[in-house]
Amino acid sequence: MHRYTWRTLIRELALFALAALWWIPLYFLVTIALKPDLEALASPLSFPSQIELGNFGTAWTEGSLGRALANSVILTVGTVVLLVALGSLCAYTIARRAGAMSTTLYLLFVIGIILPFQLGLVPTYAALRELGLVGTYLGLILFYTGVWMPFSVFLYTGFARALPRDYEEAARVDGASQLRIFWRVVFPLLRPVTGTVAIFTGLIIWNDFFLALIFLSGTDNTPLPVAVYSFVAEFASRWNLVFAAVIVALLPALCFFVVAQRQLIRGFTGGIKT
Amino acid sequence: MAPVTFSNVSKTYPDGTRALVGFELDIADGELVVFVGPSGCGKTTALRMVAGLEEVTDGEIRIGDRVVNDLAPQDRDVAMVFQNYALYPHMSVFDNIAFPLRCQRVPKREIRERVQQAAALLGLEEQLGRRPRHLSGGQRQRVAMGRAIVRQPQVFLMDEPLSNLDAKLRVQMRSEITRLQEELGVTTIFVTHDQVEAMTMGDRIAVLRRGVLQQHGPPELLYDEPANLFVAEFIGSPAMNLFRGRLENDGSGLACAIGEQRVPLPEHTLARRLGLAAYADRELAVGIRPEHLLDARSSDPALPRLRGDVKFDEALPPERLVYATVEAPPVVTEDVLELAQDVDAAAVERLEELAQERFVLACARFDITASPPPRGPFEFAVAVDRLHFFDLETGAAIR
Repeated sequence: MHRYTWRTLIRELALFALAALWWIPLYFLVTIALKPDLEALASPLSFPSQIELGNFGTAWTEGSLGRALANSVILTVGTVVLLVALGSLCAYTIARRAGAMSTTLYLLFVIGIILPFQLGLVPTYAALRELGLVGTYLGLILFYTGVWMPFSVFLYTGFARALPRDYEEAARVDGASQLRIFWRVVFPLLRPVTGTVAIFTGLIIWNDFFLALIFLSGTDNTPLPVAVYSFVAEFASRWNLVFAAVIVALLPALCFFVVAQRQLIRGFTGGIKT
Repeated sequence: MAPVTFSNVSKTYPDGTRALVGFELDIADGELVVFVGPSGCGKTTALRMVAGLEEVTDGEIRIGDRVVNDLAPQDRDVAMVFQNYALYPHMSVFDNIAFPLRCQRVPKREIRERVQQAAALLGLEEQLGRRPRHLSGGQRQRVAMGRAIVRQPQVFLMDEPLSNLDAKLRVQMRSEITRLQEELGVTTIFVTHDQVEAMTMGDRIAVLRRGVLQQHGPPELLYDEPANLFVAEFIGSPAMNLFRGRLENDGSGLACAIGEQRVPLPEHTLARRLGLAAYADRELAVGIRPEHLLDARSSDPALPRLRGDVKFDEALPPERLVYATVEAPPVVTEDVLELAQDVDAAAVERLEELAQERFVLACARFDITASPPPRGPFEFAVAVDRLHFFDLETGAAIR
């Protein structure tokens, strides 16, 4: 019996064609980024007559993308570290303590996911300004951590609840302190969900434009999305450079996602391998 | 190494469930005691209370001369092997075994030496760099043992550590654990659901039911002199055959009526069980171990006979198990039903069906060299001296 029929082939081709639609913007992004100045303006949709790799170098130096990349790394890593360290500890406590207190706490975090953070933006901005944290890495890292902590706690709690207690009990009998049990036994077992939290929130923070614009614009601490935006305003007539800058901004996140996507899926779906 | 003492220990959960009631037991230094019983009997709870993983509601647990009720698990100097081994999956075998020593802040060099020693004792030298998920069931079991012995604790606690192994490996690990325990001389409490494990491993066995200690003693004592119906039915495989009988006095002495059949009880049997006199003309439970139902074709003709209807037999060299229905009411007390329930729900149904038809499916253990009994009516000889009698109301053995 031939399981692969003409109908299957046609169906596959149709699906490939549909999937190709998602490549169209990427195609224009790459082709325009590789065109010389004049061609980018004259015939933006055509295939480049000549590959201009120098656009990337120009975008990098003129847009101060190196500094912006470092800022993005500081903001993303700083926030993700806090989200992982505090979120996992908090979720572990919620997961392991039965009672009204932990249920209420958990519900508060769930509500935190549902409520839009924009509701608290103005008062939080005012508070951070009072503390002298507007325009600093720390201010935005704290704000990001606050916004994404409910999501982190939510994911960690679900995973921690499914974790067999035997490991912790074995560690207690083995003579480990509560802190050692958490960091040496429980936390490593939470690795799949740590991956999910880190990748998911990391990508969002890496790509965030809005909060970074509000809290950091006008300083040297602006991350890539804001730097690219400033670049657009400055080089509005040179789309090839703008698109090259966008690619530079996208690449780290894209590479990271490609490498870590399996971890992301495992954290959402699976448990631990024993 | 230290003795463990349970003094009137009870455990009640917040929802009112009583997991252990007035548990009293002295475990000598270096002794291996097996806690055995059906699911929910309180055996694991008792073990976890020694480990400090469950709080003691009432009573006192001592390890050596220390009352440990309020001590944290890490301060009790006990080591535990869990049912699923609880090996830390992210650590290598070496790190798993070294973990308790690192918790005690033992110097690195000493850790290496002690882990190597434990690994050598358990044949794990080649596996030290591997992760638990790359090990076989038996190797994982050994790592769990290694983690326990490396600490040189006062007490080993083992919670059904063999239940996840296949039958052959279980037999092998059973003897390995016994050997290790004898070599190290550490007081050990071993919890199991499997009475064969209990019989083969324990210096003493403690049988629990619904949180109450039913009987404790050496395996032979529990087998030969069960204190009640529950222990009689639980210990031994195949289980003891139980009939609802009646003691009758026919003028020439007491006889036990099993259905329409009569098994005369000789004077010396009655002399050994003086309590039987009080049961004249009363109903009681009669128990016969499978090896005490003999092949009448080759037995002493003076032994009383019991007729049955052979249904099937199982050749299990060096023995043959012969199953026959005997026309007599079975014993369907709470104890018996609970044990059947522990096997599965269908076993309860089968027992109740037989009770309605007033049949007992009895099992006899014959030598494999004897010719198999023909299907249909067959006579068994009863080793009348080895009969067991129990009160139907209380389940207690009549002695």
